[in-house]
Amino acid sequence: MRSKNFLLFFTLPFIGIIVIFFVLSSLNRAYIKNKTEDLVKEQLQATVEILKVNISHFLMENYSADQIFESYARKENIYYMALLNEKKEVLSWSSQFEGYLPLSLQSIKDEESWIIDSPAGKIFNYFSPFSVQEGKEYFLYLGYSLESLEEMVVYSRRNFFLIFGLISVIGIIFFLGIYQLQRHYLEKKREAEEEKKEKERYREISAFTSGVGHEIKNPLNSVSLIFELLEKKAPPDLQEEVGAGKEEIQKISRIIDQFASSLRPLKLRKETFALAEVVSSVRGSLIKESDKADVEIRYVESSSIALKADKDLLSQALSNLLRNSIEAGSGGLVSIEAQQKKKKVLIKIEDSGRGIAEEDERHIFEPFFSRKKQGLGIGLYLTKKIVEAHEGKIEVQSKAGLGTTFLIQIPGG
Amino acid sequence: MKKGLSLFIMVYILGFWSFSSGQEPQSPLHFYNVDTEKKIKGTIQEIIMEPRYKDSSPFLIIKLEEKKTHQKFIVEISPVRFFTHDFHKGEELEVVGSLYLKEGSQNIIARQIRFRGEIFILRDKRGFPAWRGSGMKYKKRRKGKRF
Repeated sequence: MRSKNFLLFFTLPFIGIIVIFFVLSSLNRAYIKNKTEDLVKEQLQATVEILKVNISHFLMENYSADQIFESYARKENIYYMALLNEKKEVLSWSSQFEGYLPLSLQSIKDEESWIIDSPAGKIFNYFSPFSVQEGKEYFLYLGYSLESLEEMVVYSRRNFFLIFGLISVIGIIFFLGIYQLQRHYLEKKREAEEEKKEKERYREISAFTSGVGHEIKNPLNSVSLIFELLEKKAPPDLQEEVGAGKEEIQKISRIIDQFASSLRPLKLRKETFALAEVVSSVRGSLIKESDKADVEIRYVESSSIALKADKDLLSQALSNLLRNSIEAGSGGLVSIEAQQKKKKVLIKIEDSGRGIAEEDERHIFEPFFSRKKQGLGIGLYLTKKIVEAHEGKIEVQSKAGLGTTFLIQIPGG
Repeated sequence: MKKGLSLFIMVYILGFWSFSSGQEPQSPLHFYNVDTEKKIKGTIQEIIMEPRYKDSSPFLIIKLEEKKTHQKFIVEISPVRFFTHDFHKGEELEVVGSLYLKEGSQNIIARQIRFRGEIFILRDKRGFPAWRGSGMKYKKRRKGKRF
């Protein structure tokens, strides 16, 4: 699945869920708000009924409208109220806001309730008739603050947006995380595919080269035998030339053997041995074969390291690396540091030679890559192959002119 | 002479009493009645400050003479502290407000006034006072537009 498609695959359902949540939550809030308004309306109607009974009682006891209203004027939730006679003429009124009594007698019916918006918030209005015992009819008009209801609505809205925001943020973080993971996975997959292709290519090359090597080796052996016969029977003045020819044939044979061994899959024969012992043996043979008199190979280990690995292959790998280090410099010090970290052994081989050019660094472990005149480009490739066969890692750090460091990490310590 | 003096004192005391009682805010039967909304345009005759509503600070009251009919109106503007512009006698004022009659005088509770080319909204369309919540809104006069 492509990265973009993957993102859509996850984000579209998430957006869908968010939209559904938004719609359902809005509908739910609207429903609760309506229900609460109805409830408030019913309660206020009940309050007004009680008020009407009280007012009619006061009226029967000949209290003036102003006196009656005086006792209700200070009620916090009652913004305004008015008493009207049967002709709907205002007898008395009171309001918490100067001159504010939003009553239009032209359009009002005998009994009605409605809600208005004002800068002081929503106000529930109720206009209702009532009678006193004498048979006189009055109307009561009341404006009741819905501030607490509004506070509840605001609180609910705020919570809704808070939860909505939280879900969105968590969702975005979650899906971005998944997106990143998927990208990483795709990248690794691509790398693995490339590696697989590369391996297949090498396998093909190996098969081809092995085939060619095998085909060349047989006639070479015959030629080598012929040269041996010739060497025995050749006149003395041709002995030298025949000998040189024989050596060249043997050299070609060795090269073919090297190719064949580098292409052959490695079979590990693990045994436990002291690393110092292997390093010492490799060092000894390299110093002997080196034509540089002042080469010094120094080995340091943090503690005595016993390693479980293929001794011969590891010797070969170390030998390749050390040979490279020796050849890279004009004498001087090549240091080997080894340390054990849990069950891994870290080996660091450092030289102060000419270093590796930046553009060559990523190719040095490739087969048949060499900048040396005499080199076949197999040594480092084989070293990497040996380290990886041990499920280890090899890295190179180099600066042209300053030297090169090889870092090997091998399990089995 | 004595009679004249005591009559003067009586008239003075009565006058003072009536003046004082006139200054007291009474339970007003006038409210902003949207059904009696009217627009008038006139000239400022007098500027008064007096209490109008219980527990409220003094109000700015303008006596206005309508241009065409020469009828006189008493216009209730707002609490003095709220309206910071100065009125001057003889200036023109256009008022939209609720009309009511009191003791034979035509009174108007102003909702919106046009003064020196600016429109001042003092109450909302239902009469809610701007000084109790929304604050005063100004509108720049637009040529040819009427309110």
